[in-house]
Amino acid sequence: MPAAAIRTSKLSKDYGLGRGLFDLDLEVLPQEVFGYLGPNGAGKSTTIRCLMGLIRPTLGSAHIFGLDCFRDSVAVKRKVGYMPGDMPQWGSMRGKEVVAYLGGMRGGADPKIVRNVAERFDLDLGRRFREYSSGNKKKLGIVLAFMHRPDLLVLDEPTGGLDPLNQQEFYKLVGETRDAGATIFLSSHILSEVEHTCDRVGIIRSGRLVKVADLDEIHRIRLHRLELEFSPDSEVPEAAIRSAAGVEDVVVSDHTVTCIVRGAFDPLLKTLSGSTVTNLVSHEPSLEEIFLTYYKHDAPSEAIGP
Amino acid sequence: MTAIRLALRLGRWGLIGFAGVGFFATFVNAAGFYAIAGHTQAERQAFGRSFAQVASQLTVLLPPPSRLDTMGGYVQFRGYGSLAIVFAIWALASASGAARGDEERGLVEMILATGLSRARAIAARIAAFAFAAFVAALAASLGVIVGAIAGGEAFPIDRAIEAAVLVTALALSCYSLVLLVAQLVAPRAATGLAGAVLLGLFLLNSLSRTFDSLTTLRWLSPFRYYELSQPLSPDGSFDVQATLVLFGIAVGAGALATLAFVRRDLGSALISLRTSAGPPTYEPSRALVWRMPVVRGLYDRRISLTVWSVGVAVVAALFVVLTKTMVQPLLAIPGLAQYFAVLMHGAIFPSFLSFIWFGFAQLLLAGFAITQVARWSAEDTDGRLELILSNPVSRTQVVIERAVVLGLGALLIAAVSGVAVGIEAQNESIPLDAGRLAEASLLLVPFALVFAALGALLAARLPRATIGILGVYAFASYLMVQFGPIFKLPDWIQNLSPFKLFGQPLIDGIDRTGLLIMLAIVIVGFAASAIVMQRRDVGA
Repeated sequence: MPAAAIRTSKLSKDYGLGRGLFDLDLEVLPQEVFGYLGPNGAGKSTTIRCLMGLIRPTLGSAHIFGLDCFRDSVAVKRKVGYMPGDMPQWGSMRGKEVVAYLGGMRGGADPKIVRNVAERFDLDLGRRFREYSSGNKKKLGIVLAFMHRPDLLVLDEPTGGLDPLNQQEFYKLVGETRDAGATIFLSSHILSEVEHTCDRVGIIRSGRLVKVADLDEIHRIRLHRLELEFSPDSEVPEAAIRSAAGVEDVVVSDHTVTCIVRGAFDPLLKTLSGSTVTNLVSHEPSLEEIFLTYYKHDAPSEAIGP
Repeated sequence: MTAIRLALRLGRWGLIGFAGVGFFATFVNAAGFYAIAGHTQAERQAFGRSFAQVASQLTVLLPPPSRLDTMGGYVQFRGYGSLAIVFAIWALASASGAARGDEERGLVEMILATGLSRARAIAARIAAFAFAAFVAALAASLGVIVGAIAGGEAFPIDRAIEAAVLVTALALSCYSLVLLVAQLVAPRAATGLAGAVLLGLFLLNSLSRTFDSLTTLRWLSPFRYYELSQPLSPDGSFDVQATLVLFGIAVGAGALATLAFVRRDLGSALISLRTSAGPPTYEPSRALVWRMPVVRGLYDRRISLTVWSVGVAVVAALFVVLTKTMVQPLLAIPGLAQYFAVLMHGAIFPSFLSFIWFGFAQLLLAGFAITQVARWSAEDTDGRLELILSNPVSRTQVVIERAVVLGLGALLIAAVSGVAVGIEAQNESIPLDAGRLAEASLLLVPFALVFAALGALLAARLPRATIGILGVYAFASYLMVQFGPIFKLPDWIQNLSPFKLFGQPLIDGIDRTGLLIMLAIVIVGFAASAIVMQRRDVGA
């Protein structure tokens, strides 16, 4: 049986005052796209830095393809492409020089992949780093992570700062890379993002892994906050809305209805067929709201504690 | 007020550090005077006369001395001559950081987004620096007063305050000039150009004392107005008009800097050459240098290494040119000529060159090492180290590569300056032993590596505090050589200073014990740095 791409056992990094990462048991399979989801400060970057051997765990262990992330960190990093959450400053170096510098340090960087990824994201490598926008800096991070055909990609919030078109391009790139045999571990704090790309999702909160879910469960977890405005001469089907499957927290105020929809929209939309809806706004709630709503209904309360 | 408070907070470590340096420098000089000048009036007059003969020849770099038989006159010459340079360096670092460094980090954008006007933003930085410089200058004055008390004398507080005002005025004028220059060019060139301008203004005034042709231009230099006052010396005075000129320069340059800042785009220079945008490139650089360990580090630093090498070589040649100018008046004094002949075995010019050039070269190489260590710390705090370590390279490899790059860089600078000294010495007919010159120049490499090794250890453990600690160590080491013999410090304490370990290789050859100690420090320092680096968290 092949070694797991990532395996952690009781992995902990205690920064004191309840901050850090605690007892993380996680297994990511080869050729899997694994989303690591959590609000800001939940411990995502700490986990990633432990995997990259950048910080030493207080307790527990982390292995990548069977290699200890700290003891065998050089061997581990031969197999890994890494993209940090924030690209460091490279001052007046040009993009192509940054690629050559880190590619030379790593060895095995493929100029064809560099060209391909840079072209796909329209990243001009001839410009100086300090002239790059934040989105272009992210794109450079993507080039650096993918340029050597790594077996495992560890990506810390890779789409932050990318515009929607480039985000879509990134999702395609992730899919292609997975199809080519690589494993991808990416962190995010946006549920809809990991939903696009991931086979499974681990949810971390206050330093503890609270859930590992597959796609079906992600869809079940996912919810939307809806705001519906009805025409003044139209009746609000309040009772039907309240009784629709997956609709919760219904609040009716004059001709405006707010509610939460869990899962599919279909049952709610059917209740509106006889009414005139003048406006409909759907918000994706923050991850914290999703957690609170999710655990209020589906999980034992102790599971969300730190 | 909020903007001023923020500026003060950003510069608090500079304030604390330079206040400490100011206090220590003046206190040690004041206490040193009482230790070496004797206790009777006659002894002090004799000391003042003999020291004045030597000191007057240093006026190539320092303001002319006055009443060296008094503590005030002595500290004015030895302490405040150097403090002018130290405070100018502080102004350079602080102003270029405020003008362009904070802009690079996005801080200026955020501050302006609060609704603060650009004029107020600059005014706040100038006001905050003025306050910080005055506090640090007062600390220097306090060092004089405490030194006087330690020597059993009282020192007039009004003169100490005048000295503080004078230093503040000079620092503030330098600060505003740097703010102005930094607006004109791209961020990466701002510090270098502003530093060159300040150095040029300093040399203009200093060299005008030796070269008459420069006297008509020295009014351009703020250092000229600084040296017109000698408030600590009993025969000196506080030149109100000259001090007001310094404040005037600060206000004028500050106003021009504000105008320039208002007219330019954030992140851009006021003066920039329009470059035509070529087609986008999607290829990585194919230059082989990026693939070769060590070579890539040297290539990455190619511009700064060139500037350092050429700059140090020019200064070296200048020292050689000035050697005869400085020494010949001393030889005209019959007693001193005899003294030099006995002490220096007849090799007066090489000995003087050894003392004055290699003394200064050590400071420059220490400065070079510290700038490289600063880069290591920045790699850590800016996140570059995290990305470097995400490649299959060990932390030990990173430490070794840094050490080798720095060593080769120091070797280049030392070699170029050595060649410059050799060529210019031949032109000036100063007989130098080529072998000794090569040895002395090469010895600058382990000397620089001592600071690098200590810096590597600090950068591995305390990256954010490294430069402050290393700067204080370099300063204390330099003072140790100056004052160790005066205070009769034990040899083992004096040997903690790399400046002492360096010795006088141009005259006496390489001190093998000193060299071995330096090499031991280098090996232990880098080895310890590798171990600490191995155990620490990166990017946490």
